Amino acid sequence: MPAPSRWMIRCSLLYLLTGFAIGAAMLISKAYPVYPQVWQLLPVHIEIAIFGWIIQFTMGTAYWILPRYLKTGGRGNSMLAKSMVVLFNTGILLNVISYLQFLPEEAVFWGRLSEVGAVGLFVILHWNRVVSYRR
Amino acid sequence: MLTALLLAIAYEINSISFPGMMPLFWHLLMVGWITQIIFGVSLWMFPGRTREEGVKAQKWAWLTYLMLNIGLIFRVIAEPVVSSSGLVVWDILIFLSGILQAAAAVAYTIELWPRVQSKEQRRKNLQKKRKREGN
Repeated sequence: MPAPSRWMIRCSLLYLLTGFAIGAAMLISKAYPVYPQVWQLLPVHIEIAIFGWIIQFTMGTAYWILPRYLKTGGRGNSMLAKSMVVLFNTGILLNVISYLQFLPEEAVFWGRLSEVGAVGLFVILHWNRVVSYRR
Repeated sequence: MLTALLLAIAYEINSISFPGMMPLFWHLLMVGWITQIIFGVSLWMFPGRTREEGVKAQKWAWLTYLMLNIGLIFRVIAEPVVSSSGLVVWDILIFLSGILQAAAAVAYTIELWPRVQSKEQRRKNLQKKRKREGN
């Protein structure tokens, strides 16, 4: 498994744990509203669960598992792959920090832009790997 | 996923709607379907899987499966009534649901984390294992 995949999958596992922990706290708060402020974490829960866990895990696994280039045996430009990992996680963290009000609301724009950049790199890296080598 | 979609259809028919319907729809889709299919496929596909069948040999995978599904079923049963009924049993079910689902995420991470490894790490681990078996 290549390094970018390992990083993305490990990050996604950490997001899974965080997302589920926040989700559990909010769910329990429906029965025992001891700390109702936990509901302010709803946007964080959604960001972490969908982008941090589901999408990141899928991207990391796809980078590892899709067919490699026949001539080089590689997965394309590794710097682009590393940039994809950094951009995607920067985007998630910017959004989360903004939702927690440690950054102004406008930071979400830059967070989303960072995620779009990462997904653009994902498309560039994988477009030519979606192939069949059977004749 | 089928249940989630049936809920979505019911949501469109006003006379069938009940409290907590949309959160249930989203969680049946995102946890019951997407997360669970990611769990299942990755436990099978990632390197380092034990070939031995049985609950004992695959205890973390079985724990993940049981806790995730029991937790989700508890939520489906209790969420529509927890806010309107004064019965303690619904509060307990919601509490257990949160704990079980979060525990499922922990069990899954315990199983998968060591299996996220490079080819070189995997080769070294296999060599160590063979040495240990030889001794």
